[in-house]
Amino acid sequence: MIATAGHLLLSGAFLTSLIVMGLYAASALKDNLSVERIANRMWYLKGVLLLLSSAALVYIIMTHQFQYYYVWNYTSLDLETKYLFSAFYGGQEGSFMLWILISCLVGVGLIKWTRKPYKAPVMFVMALTQFFLLSMIVGWDLSFAKIGASPFRTIAQEMPNAPFIQANPDFVPVDGTGLNDLLKSPWMMIHPPIIFVGFSMMTVPFAFAIASLWTKTYHEWIRPALPWTLAANLSLLTAIFLGGYWAYETLSFGGYWAWDPVENASLVPWLIGTAGIHAMIVQRKSSRAHKASLFLSIMAYVAIVYQTFLTRSGVLADQSVHSFVDLGLYGQLLMYILVMTFMGLGFYLYRYRDLPSPQKESKFLSREFMTFTGSMLLLILGIIIIVGTSSPIIGRFFVENPTPPEIQFYNDWSMPIAIIMAFATVVGQYLFWQKHTWESLAGVMITPLLLTSTATVVSIVLGEVSNIYYMIYIFAGWFTVIGNSTMLISLIRKNPKLIGGTLTHIGFGVLLLGIIASSAYTGPLLDQRTASYNARVAAGEVYDEEGFPVTQPREMFSLDLNRPTLVNNEYMVTYEGYELSDSPRPGQQTYRLRFESIDNGRVFYMYPEVYPMLTTSSRTNIEWSVDPHVQTGWMSDYYLYVAGSKYVEQKNEELEEQNRNQDPLVSLQEEADERQTIEIGQGESIEAGPFSFTFMNFTPALEEELPDSTQIGIRSLVRITHTPSGNAFDVEPLFAVYTEDEVSYTYSPPLEIERWGMTVSFTRIFPESDTIELTVDGLDMEFEEDWVLIVAEEKPFVSVVWLGTFLLMGGFTISIFRHWAREKNTEEKE
Amino acid sequence: MKPKLILGILAIVLFTSLLMYNFGNSISTYVNFEQAENRATSHVVGTWDDSRDYGFSRDTMQFSFYMKDEDGNVRRVVYPRPKPNNFEQATQLVVVGEMRNSVFHANEMLMKCPSKYNDGSELLNAQES
Repeated sequence: MIATAGHLLLSGAFLTSLIVMGLYAASALKDNLSVERIANRMWYLKGVLLLLSSAALVYIIMTHQFQYYYVWNYTSLDLETKYLFSAFYGGQEGSFMLWILISCLVGVGLIKWTRKPYKAPVMFVMALTQFFLLSMIVGWDLSFAKIGASPFRTIAQEMPNAPFIQANPDFVPVDGTGLNDLLKSPWMMIHPPIIFVGFSMMTVPFAFAIASLWTKTYHEWIRPALPWTLAANLSLLTAIFLGGYWAYETLSFGGYWAWDPVENASLVPWLIGTAGIHAMIVQRKSSRAHKASLFLSIMAYVAIVYQTFLTRSGVLADQSVHSFVDLGLYGQLLMYILVMTFMGLGFYLYRYRDLPSPQKESKFLSREFMTFTGSMLLLILGIIIIVGTSSPIIGRFFVENPTPPEIQFYNDWSMPIAIIMAFATVVGQYLFWQKHTWESLAGVMITPLLLTSTATVVSIVLGEVSNIYYMIYIFAGWFTVIGNSTMLISLIRKNPKLIGGTLTHIGFGVLLLGIIASSAYTGPLLDQRTASYNARVAAGEVYDEEGFPVTQPREMFSLDLNRPTLVNNEYMVTYEGYELSDSPRPGQQTYRLRFESIDNGRVFYMYPEVYPMLTTSSRTNIEWSVDPHVQTGWMSDYYLYVAGSKYVEQKNEELEEQNRNQDPLVSLQEEADERQTIEIGQGESIEAGPFSFTFMNFTPALEEELPDSTQIGIRSLVRITHTPSGNAFDVEPLFAVYTEDEVSYTYSPPLEIERWGMTVSFTRIFPESDTIELTVDGLDMEFEEDWVLIVAEEKPFVSVVWLGTFLLMGGFTISIFRHWAREKNTEEKE
Repeated sequence: MKPKLILGILAIVLFTSLLMYNFGNSISTYVNFEQAENRATSHVVGTWDDSRDYGFSRDTMQFSFYMKDEDGNVRRVVYPRPKPNNFEQATQLVVVGEMRNSVFHANEMLMKCPSKYNDGSELLNAQES
């Protein structure tokens, strides 16, 4: 009932967007204010319809109406309320819904704050995008075509041919399939909304560009469009940062950036948007670069639509770890991008001759030229990333069935561009605030250059950099930071409100330094055995069982309970056990690892988690998932997860056992190997099944019990306790080494414990650690010491990457306030 | 204006061809296991064959499983890292690596994100429970 209402409301909103579009177009063409007023009201009406429809979706999710495909597919009964709410935008349909809602809200802001002559054409474009976005989820089943996939469709509509639907059309599942555990994270609640805020706001410069071309007013649109574009960039940047942090901390991607298509999809619009901001600043300051700012404002939005197409149409299905499933929207998405591109670029080309061009070329040493260069570099970087991400399409020109490009492709191209950009930011900033000749520029650059050289040399020496290319890169990074900081200091003296741009450029430099430092020095944490194994692999000395040389180094090591192990010659790492808990996830184990620095004795603990994936685990098969722990520090992050443990292995074996017992074909159970060995240190206790073995101490052996020519003869006092009954039994097994005909033999006579049907022998001794090995027969419980398998990495200077990002965000924020305040001022004056 | 324009066009052509050349070199094509036998690095798409043994071995420190490529060839795949999150759920796998003696040594493994992917068969399971 509610769902039907939701569906109807959505259809209403879809129709309204169509009408609104027509009204705004008419108002823009005829310059009719009363029509515009009606259109504004219709826009508010559409907002109400959308809100009600979203409320309906939230309602059916909250009330667990699993007959609806969306509810069944993304939620389950046990989902916490906060995640039930975020499941609203957890799927493809709902995420479109969120995008539409936010974009509608942006439209309300535009209605309120946009002045003539732009309001009607700007709102026309906004309505057009709403129309396209709504068409993705309106879910109309016309006889000749289907338009969109509705979040309100039922399972019966989704799978009409499924046998259980044909048997019982009113079938309602008892429970849903639930949200992927990886999405049950606070990041999931804030990351998508911020992305869609960015997407929606990035529509605004596009809309203003179209409006400018429409009304032939090419100068004025920059002022109102600039704050919106800055805000869009801030949102996208925040979303990229949150996504990177989420991937790093929770999703165990192993890093903050992987050139994944979905990551690129948010980066490219940001780059082109930033390019647009540079062009807009040139235009605002000096009435140049009209063409560039219009073009880039159009392209930033086209990039968003194009990347939406790539990630949502199923084109990237093989390439991305997190692309959406194809909802059959391919045609519609293609239409969306074609219409937007043709409208934007077509209009642009149509008016091209009309666009103002500068009277004379700007000089090389001018703020216009430098800022424009920055803009073009950003655009080029964006294009390169688009080419790489589009490999399933563009790659077809080269090979059949193309794979994504190697990561190297992105690195090879972005690094030199970043270096050029780095130099351009400094020169650009100096020229931006003051006119310079070559001589005067050289004069003001001396101090920053000296400082940069010092910082670079120090970094190269400390970082043991030997690659000349990296040296240049590091120089460029420091130059950006130091050169812009010098500028920042003089600006703060003049007027602190102006520092936005300078601050972003410092952030960019810090980011460059952070990226190189964190990626070049990231390395696995390994124990000494694995490290020496890897050294042998590197030397080509290791062969696998088939005789092939092993080329892959190991990036993990195992730890035994309470056995401190030296790792990277830096830390003594001790596995101290795990805790089982049912909160927040049932069956979750929290492992406790103690790190002690051998240099300064500093101690910290790491708590990685392993948990069964609720949504997909069944009685016959548990799927384990890991949650890494990141120990964040100023200098280094430690990233660690448990890749395997005795507990998990035992659980899996138990399940296998159960499955085998249930399988009538395999009725014969395998004979358990009843002989086991146990290693115990002096004073230690070890649990094995229902027994506990305690090695109390060594006792001397009597001469007459020993064979002739004995070299070593000793007994160990071992207390064996049957834990359930508390009965204890002390044994003193003998261990001796003797020679016969110059050959050494060991002598370990077994001691029988009749009560428990068990024999114990003392089979080895490790004098250096006062540890003995006992061999026990007849103990049918599997004994194994507790162990964990650890994958860990040291990632230095990740904090610098975050710092760079925060500086960028701070700079953008300051600029938004500055440009917004000026826009408000002009409004009041009029 | 003229020489500047020519210079600009030349720069663009040079940049584009260099970019495309580099891009062409950095991509390769998806192959099946049989074709992978004679190549240095291959990308193979397929699905996990769950009817056979799989798991991580502490002796070899490798994760191994059987994978069926799109043409139905089944081969053992070894991967020198622990079992990735979501492995069992993945509806599709992409392994990147080298084929040696009918065993695929994967350096990289991608899994198609399954959370957005369901078909009727899973619903049947839900119905049973």
